[in-house]
Amino acid sequence: MMMDDDNKLTGAIKGIVTEIQRFSLQDGPGIRTTVFLKGCNMHCTWCHNPETLKHMPEIMFYPIRCIGCGKCVEVCPEGAHTMGNGKHTIDRTLCVGCGKCADACYAEALQLCGKRMSAKQIMDEVEQDKPYYDNSNGGMTISGGECLCQSPFVEQLLDAAHEKGIHAAIETNLSFDFERIEDVLRKCDLVMFDIKLMDDEAHKTYTGVSNAKVLANAKKLDELGVPFIVRTPLIPGVTDTDENVSAIVDYIKDMKHLVRYELLNFNTLGGAKYESLSADNAHADARPLAKARLDELGAIIDRAGIAGKVV
Amino acid sequence: MSAIKFVNCYSPEEELSYDKRIALLRQRKVDQTAEKAKLGGADEDDYGLIVQDEFKFQLQPSHKNGSIYGYDAWSQNYCRLLSEHPLYLDALDAFVGKGFLFLERLRPPKKKWNPDYAYPDLQQIFDRYNIISGIDNCHHFTPDIQIGFDLGWGGILAKLEEQEKLHDESHADFYRAEIAVVKAIIAFLDRMTDEIEAQAERETHPVLKQNLIDMAECNRAIVSDKPKTFRQAVQWMCWFSMLSRTYNRGSAGGQLDEMLRPYYERDVEAGILTDDEAVFYLACLFLQDSRYFQLGGPDENGEDMISHISYLCLEAADKINIACNLTVRVHDKMNEDFFRKSVAYLFKNKQGWPRYSSDNALVEGFMKCGYSKELARRRVAAGCHWMCIPGMEYTMNDTVKINLLKVFDVAYRDMMAHADEPSIDALWECYKKHLKVAVDATGAGIMHHLKYQSKSQPELILNLFQHGLIEKGLNITDGGANFYNMCVDGSGLAVVADSFAACESRIDREGKLTYAQLTELLDRNFEGGEYVRQMLQHSPRYGGGCTLGDAWAQKVNELYTSLVRDLCNQYKGVNFIPGFFSWSNTIGLGKTVGATPNGRKAFEPINHGANPNGGFRRDGAVTSMCNSIGAIQPGYGNCAPVQLELDPGIVGDEEGVDKMAAMIKTIMSTGNTLLNINIIDGKKILEAHKDPMKYPDLVVRVTGFTAFFAMLSPTFRQLVVDRVMSVNGSRLEEDQ
Repeated sequence: MMMDDDNKLTGAIKGIVTEIQRFSLQDGPGIRTTVFLKGCNMHCTWCHNPETLKHMPEIMFYPIRCIGCGKCVEVCPEGAHTMGNGKHTIDRTLCVGCGKCADACYAEALQLCGKRMSAKQIMDEVEQDKPYYDNSNGGMTISGGECLCQSPFVEQLLDAAHEKGIHAAIETNLSFDFERIEDVLRKCDLVMFDIKLMDDEAHKTYTGVSNAKVLANAKKLDELGVPFIVRTPLIPGVTDTDENVSAIVDYIKDMKHLVRYELLNFNTLGGAKYESLSADNAHADARPLAKARLDELGAIIDRAGIAGKVV
Repeated sequence: MSAIKFVNCYSPEEELSYDKRIALLRQRKVDQTAEKAKLGGADEDDYGLIVQDEFKFQLQPSHKNGSIYGYDAWSQNYCRLLSEHPLYLDALDAFVGKGFLFLERLRPPKKKWNPDYAYPDLQQIFDRYNIISGIDNCHHFTPDIQIGFDLGWGGILAKLEEQEKLHDESHADFYRAEIAVVKAIIAFLDRMTDEIEAQAERETHPVLKQNLIDMAECNRAIVSDKPKTFRQAVQWMCWFSMLSRTYNRGSAGGQLDEMLRPYYERDVEAGILTDDEAVFYLACLFLQDSRYFQLGGPDENGEDMISHISYLCLEAADKINIACNLTVRVHDKMNEDFFRKSVAYLFKNKQGWPRYSSDNALVEGFMKCGYSKELARRRVAAGCHWMCIPGMEYTMNDTVKINLLKVFDVAYRDMMAHADEPSIDALWECYKKHLKVAVDATGAGIMHHLKYQSKSQPELILNLFQHGLIEKGLNITDGGANFYNMCVDGSGLAVVADSFAACESRIDREGKLTYAQLTELLDRNFEGGEYVRQMLQHSPRYGGGCTLGDAWAQKVNELYTSLVRDLCNQYKGVNFIPGFFSWSNTIGLGKTVGATPNGRKAFEPINHGANPNGGFRRDGAVTSMCNSIGAIQPGYGNCAPVQLELDPGIVGDEEGVDKMAAMIKTIMSTGNTLLNINIIDGKKILEAHKDPMKYPDLVVRVTGFTAFFAMLSPTFRQLVVDRVMSVNGSRLEEDQ
């Protein structure tokens, strides 16, 4: 159902983009520009980009920047904004994500997350840093949300990047029917995907879906011959156990096209975003793992004799 | 007070290795910096200056206004200053050569320029456009230390005396003053050496005693003669630096590795120098003064000049790890290993060194002025944002600033008063008119300075290290230099570009505002108009990447460059080179200009150097900023530097260093000329701003120069904090 909705939105010429981040250093090799697409087919309880979960554009609100001008109240056709006692509130049940309030909010207290953009519009931005990609073996990374929810658009973007001689990678959860994503995967210069949890029940509990397709597709991707990086976000008390990391290592260690396995330490950067979306943060109290613990987990990768990295 | 001595400070049993001595010297430096900070600090280079309040030198004025002008007054005061100057000696150190004050700063405020050569008409224009004319400023060109290495002070004296006999009376002032100065220097070095010998007798620690004996021998050898060993050469440099600083603060460095390489290789071959000793000496050199030195780069034939001693320089800077102004030259045949090592040090120490210059952009640009490639390659990084051929050029580098924003303000007011219908086209026409007046006046000011500077402040030290001046008997401003390449910097480019872009987008294109409404808001400093201010501020900005603001910055650059280059037609034989830089005048230049159409409030600082205004992009992308700065390079061999603030978190491992090395190379190969980098943790700098002494050894690159953060005034600390926050700010905000 979700997929069908996505295709209606993006099957034509535009994708829904939450952000284009240049000088991105953590989303693949070299210096990159990361294009974040909106919408995800998993709902991980720890997601640090919660603004990318929903498929439709939505408004983010940063009260600290609000100057109380009231322009949003004036321009909102749905009456979603109210100002009272110097306090600005949004009724999200009324908001349709049209973005008129964000257009009028020059203080950037209101920001529309999810803009419809063509591949050309995106490439105009991405291309500006080509010398940096060339010197660092970097390029463009398409991320999300889950970028393959907009797979036709991702295909267009990959083609556009290759036309310009730009290395193109994707970050995905691989949780799709393989035939639906096979053509896109073949076009990638690098695929970075998560294996979050090997225990399927836990996977369902924390992400909302089974890990069956992820694990099966990992093997199929290896057979395609596309280089890939496997990653596990380290969520305290969820994914950061020796058992989980060991099981993942066992699963991937013999894959031929594995570039490396990365452990991504928990970060708290999503905290303010949850507030801006008036959403609950299930891991608000979680903190990054200590270096000693990271070293222990890193040692598991080393013992398996595969390339690894703890970020 | 006759001396500051650190002798007999350690028990004879205490083990004092080179590393231990460096650590102790570094701690002493940090403590002295804390003292300086207590005395009010300073918003400039560290200079290696020892601040104390016991020794007071009484200036003997030559003019009724209490100041000193001309050859005799400067010479006599300097000679007397040296004869009274206290001696500083530290038994841990390999060298002596600490200074306490600058003669030029002992003059009464605002009495620098000889009033017999006033320029009231020009001053009116300077005031109108807030131009820092450079008239009365000194040094800011590069001496060729090799002259000193070849001759020694005694050789220089002999040459002066020989040339004096060959010249007529019209050069008598020059020779009389210079000869007296060199004699005073030799006497001062003799006195210092006597003191070292005396203290060597007293010192009880065996290692330090031997050090003082060696130090005395080293100094005795170079009182008059030229240096012959590595240690003597470095000691000679320390003395040169102190003596020149004491005169008028001038002490640009040069190509450090190549200057010292012959001594290093000779001593190593003779078995009288080890690498450990060389590193120790170099660390002591960096401790002595924060002079600007270049490492690497191409020789005249384009071959890389990195040698083993270049590595030792990096190693020494790493060990002493204080405010080091080292520049690594990036070029096509660069030694990749050395370059990568330098990047690793930058991120390891997070002290703002080294910085990087681009050979390609600088050489190609300078060649457009008519110079050969060989000469262009000899122009080395020697100051905050500037290059100079040692011993060959007079430049006034970094002393001339045209406040482009003030020019905009005058133009805007002119348009509102006289244009039939205000518009972006009318505004641009007014800007062109006023910028020409400002640039032409600046050119006239430089010529005035050249004509009369020797009547105000002759360069009695630096003249001696220029090729041909002793032979000609001329002060450097009097036509004796090989080349006159006058630096003319524009300041405030980003505010001007953003103001043009805000007017064009919000008024002319979108019709959201009228010029009359804007004027009213500017006049009341946006009071009651915060919404419109935000709208203006969020117009497409310079630094955003192919934005309207970027287009305006390029247009202003083209105009500015053509106007400065046109000065070369007005004054034959003098080359005028445009650049964009503010130095640390961002606050002062901002204080003269009211609110501006880019949403800047009245009297707020202008943008730093050629950088965009803070918040130029939501992601603060370094690449976008650097592309924009690369696109506004005037392109004649001077700089519009990139000032980069990076979070240390972006480099966690070797792969991170590789990425940064690639980033720096790309910045240097996309039109940019100079890259200054701070690696600063946002939270740390906020804490240090609140309580500077919490991190007394924190060093930041303020503009072109590095300084101890604790030494800076609160206003300057705020400037650095604002720059860091414009990159890391959103992250911290989200983190809270």
